[in-house]
Amino acid sequence: MIVRRFVTPVVAAMVLVGACGGDPPPPPPPPPQANQDSLRAYQDSVRRAGEAAQAEAARLAAERAAAAERARRVTAARTTLEEMVFFDYDESDVRDDAAAVLRRKVDILRASPQVRIRIEGHADERGSTEYNLALGNRRAEAVRQFLVGFGLTQDRFEIVSFGEGRPRQQGATEQVWAQNRRGEFIITAGANAINPAN
Amino acid sequence: MRAVELKRIAWGATLALLALAHAGGARAQDQIPGVSLGLVYSASYVPALALKPFTGSFGGEGVAPDVEAIVGRDLRNADRFEVMDSLPAGLIGDGLDYALWDRLGAVWLVTGRLEGAGDGYMLLLELHDVVYGAVKEQGRFRVPRFSDPDFRMAVHRASDEIVRWTTGDPGMAASRIAFTVTDAENNKDVHLIDSDGENLERVTNNGSLLESPTWAPDASKIAFTSWKTGYPRIYELNLATRHERMLEPVRGAGDYITPAYSPDGATLAFSVLGSDARSGIFTYDVARDCCLAYLSGGPWYDFSPTYSPDGRWMAFNTQRFGDAVPQVMLMPADGGDAETLSPYQYGGGGYFTSPDWSPTGDLVAFHGAIERGRYHILVAALADGGRVLRQLTSEGNNEDPSWAPDGRHLVFVGERSWGYGLFVVDVATGQLRTLVSGRRVGVPDWSPALAPR
Repeated sequence: MIVRRFVTPVVAAMVLVGACGGDPPPPPPPPPQANQDSLRAYQDSVRRAGEAAQAEAARLAAERAAAAERARRVTAARTTLEEMVFFDYDESDVRDDAAAVLRRKVDILRASPQVRIRIEGHADERGSTEYNLALGNRRAEAVRQFLVGFGLTQDRFEIVSFGEGRPRQQGATEQVWAQNRRGEFIITAGANAINPAN
Repeated sequence: MRAVELKRIAWGATLALLALAHAGGARAQDQIPGVSLGLVYSASYVPALALKPFTGSFGGEGVAPDVEAIVGRDLRNADRFEVMDSLPAGLIGDGLDYALWDRLGAVWLVTGRLEGAGDGYMLLLELHDVVYGAVKEQGRFRVPRFSDPDFRMAVHRASDEIVRWTTGDPGMAASRIAFTVTDAENNKDVHLIDSDGENLERVTNNGSLLESPTWAPDASKIAFTSWKTGYPRIYELNLATRHERMLEPVRGAGDYITPAYSPDGATLAFSVLGSDARSGIFTYDVARDCCLAYLSGGPWYDFSPTYSPDGRWMAFNTQRFGDAVPQVMLMPADGGDAETLSPYQYGGGGYFTSPDWSPTGDLVAFHGAIERGRYHILVAALADGGRVLRQLTSEGNNEDPSWAPDGRHLVFVGERSWGYGLFVVDVATGQLRTLVSGRRVGVPDWSPALAPR
């Protein structure tokens, strides 16, 4: 087996030589003598085109990335604008955690002058129905005045109370009640003109 | 008082007679300094009343037992009599044996006969004074045929006449209660129910939140607040046509809530909250569709107005003392200085809301938290300036009292371990009955006495 493997390429070479006959092969035609300058120019143009395409692709990619980033930030801004705030039992004071949420809204609202918001005030089921309408309104008003206090104009906000009539959760535990004592934020104008805060 | 009546005053012993000291059982911090509070009822004489089985003629025989049953229940609900159980006709006989009724313990005896008359019936009622053995009063009442929607109400009006004959006071059987019922989508609609718990009827198809239904004094309209446009606005529902009319937001933006008619029906008082201008209580002339007037309010909120029966005063709820301490105040009906009726302790607190001025003019009912988070129905006598509160409930949470046209009964929302219901309490005896249960009910308003249509 070892011998046969060695012989086979030799036979194949002999067969190839026989097929060419005895004549020497004609010399290959000389390659076209390119003008060295135009060749460089050609190579340069190819390179430049490649670079331009690459740059364009990079630019488009960057643009897409920027758009995606901006969309992400707009979405995040919208989420921030719509983020609820919560209140203590039977109180309309803006709590510290609510103030932090509202402060983030202020920055976005400053950057997005076309955005208008409806602030909805809600109460938990305890206490009287009509009193809770007033309490819900006081909560919405407290939120509005907090925002106006940062220099935003009052006409960008309308307030409406739903009292205890629109609970987020049903039940009679403190956990449920705490979720129902809230301010909600509905964007009523300028939803397509939200600018993330700088 | 006649001797025979004194003998029967034993009924008074069955009344809940709980001393002022009752409130002493509560924890010390639940006390309101300077305020007497308790389940206090004065012993009152409750005479025994019997109904002789009603008879009929000319086609009235068929409905006579129905009419008798309605009258009997109405007189029990009046809480002014010890209504005796029906006795078999065989025991009583056809005639009128005053001595027999006297032996049975009756002080009053009511007999009734129904005669076919035209399309319906004529109900002839007689009130007998058993002790004197004489007819005290008699009356004839037109009753439409059984299938007529006004059949029961016509009988209720006759029942109220019996109350007037015996006591001189108006009754409340011929009346209805408006209230909200919450559906599975958390929407609310106005429902009506007769004073005896019959004829539950939904009268709006609102599809949104709705609160504070309130009767016009002639019972032709009900005003309420609905969110159906997305904003709370006041509507008037014409009960005959079922047409709804929105009160234009005459004050501009804001929540338009808690309407109440003046006793002459020409004016609606209501609150506008969160207005860009001043929040508070306003009146508007709905008869002439003009003339908005600002009564009270400011940076604080005033709401839930209720007129005195003479139309000269108004009780209302205020948040002017701050969050969590709403108080009931009084002021002239065209505005002016307000004084506090509920026992607010400066710096101390107290939660008192939802006032309703009694048709007799001397009492204002509201509800309040005697201990934090527990709400009970309270009644303040204006003569005492709110320093004596009578507590009418002791179980669960209880809200939003509204006076019956007899000035003795209150309907309110009770929250119990089994759910929510409408309850009726007799302010004089503390007697309690359930009007509606098994539904999420709210903000009841008792109608005035309903006249024939």
